[in-house]
Amino acid sequence: MSDDHHQGFDYQPALPIPNGKLCLWLFLSTEIMFFAGLIGAYIVLRFGAVNWPSTHDVHLVEYLGAINTAVLIASSITIVLALEASKKNNAATARMYMIITLVLGTMFLGVKAFEYKAKFDHLIYPAMPRSHIYEKADVNYAAAVRARINALVAELPKAEDRTELDNEKADVVESVRVDLDKAELLIRNKPDSPDGRIALWELADRIYPRASVQGHHPVAPSMAPPSSNSGPAPHEPAKAASTSQSGFTLVSAESNDGHSGGHAVGLNDQYSWLRLPIMIPGGNLWASTYFLVTGFHAIHVIVGLIAFSILLTMNLGAASSGVVENVGLYWHFVDLVWIFLFPILYLF
Amino acid sequence: MTDTHAIDTSNSAHDDEHHGGSISTYIAVAIALVFLTACSYWTYTPFWPFGDNVAIKRLWMMAVSCTKAMLVIMFFMHLKWEANWKWVLTVPASIMSMLLVLSLIPDVGRRFQHASHERMIYAAERPALEDTRQDEEMDLEEPLIQLHSPDEKTPVNH
Repeated sequence: MSDDHHQGFDYQPALPIPNGKLCLWLFLSTEIMFFAGLIGAYIVLRFGAVNWPSTHDVHLVEYLGAINTAVLIASSITIVLALEASKKNNAATARMYMIITLVLGTMFLGVKAFEYKAKFDHLIYPAMPRSHIYEKADVNYAAAVRARINALVAELPKAEDRTELDNEKADVVESVRVDLDKAELLIRNKPDSPDGRIALWELADRIYPRASVQGHHPVAPSMAPPSSNSGPAPHEPAKAASTSQSGFTLVSAESNDGHSGGHAVGLNDQYSWLRLPIMIPGGNLWASTYFLVTGFHAIHVIVGLIAFSILLTMNLGAASSGVVENVGLYWHFVDLVWIFLFPILYLF
Repeated sequence: MTDTHAIDTSNSAHDDEHHGGSISTYIAVAIALVFLTACSYWTYTPFWPFGDNVAIKRLWMMAVSCTKAMLVIMFFMHLKWEANWKWVLTVPASIMSMLLVLSLIPDVGRRFQHASHERMIYAAERPALEDTRQDEEMDLEEPLIQLHSPDEKTPVNH
């Protein structure tokens, strides 16, 4: 095994590509399976669930998703142009395109952060204790609403010290309490009848109306009396019994009103201090999968942005074209994942 | 090792000669991708001509997504110009991914089959009314009047 003997072999790489590129492609192979697992799990859970919230039920905005798609496509072309410039040893041009890619990637994250904030503002979190999502309007939901009402009442000053704003708060809390009392009385007095559940469901609908069950028209509670029913009338048994149908209608059917983007306005929207528990059938599973899939994708975007930042400290001439190509391949993969996430999350 | 480096470099240079299209090709692909994104969004607009058939819309969106993915893979990721090694790395991963998703599909049927009655009731858009309701009409105003009394804050204890 002398060196002379060793050097007698004519080594050939296993694949006719640089080692860095081979490693990157092997890494992307594992990434394909990783995201296939995540997206596959989402599809299985989404279509296997008895109920699943529509896009508007959970305050997703389709055009924001489309904008983010366009942003990622634009960043894909700029990174390709950066690679072409780097191959031609035009470091300044490559750097310019790299900076544009960095800005576009940051813009994508900004839009995503804005979307996350919209969920958090509506008390939609992936897990307890922050999440206020209840799957059904049952006695547990009623207990949670009552606990919140009691907390709000405790925060109010004494009657003689109340301001006009405090009085308004007291009126709103009292109107919710009246509806809750009515529902709980019905449940207690007629446990075998659906009346109590219907009353509780209507209260939940008043707090957090879902676009998918509002006759596909957003309804503002302020347009109706405080204790009125904003959902379908109780004498519509056919529609009332349409179990799980909302999980199988496309969000496009709800987009008749362009003013609110299809989102319905409830008490929690009207009074941001109220923060009452909300009822979204399938909402917890949706929140878990949505934040998991988009969160992992966002982490990949952040890693890409860090890679761009590191590249910007280097000379992006022809000698660096291999590294630029590898980072570009990674970035295209991030774009690729979003191409599938956009329709599945926003339009299905 | 020097020889290996020499081979790598020459391969890289050889590849570079054949890799990638022109800038106009890339821009055309980017425009096509934006157009295809609009095609996905089309299903969401009133201009969609095929009604509210969910299956057609989903099929269309998946076809559009697959087309977009192929464009990105072939042109932006340069696989169109790569040698046959691309099959070694991409095909097994793709097959494994599809098998992974397909193997999860039986769960879909099982979840439907085993949904409890209570779960189905509460999953309704609105709690289902029973036929007996007409026979059990009750006056809801009476308890409401009682509840408005300031002395009775919590009439029901669970």
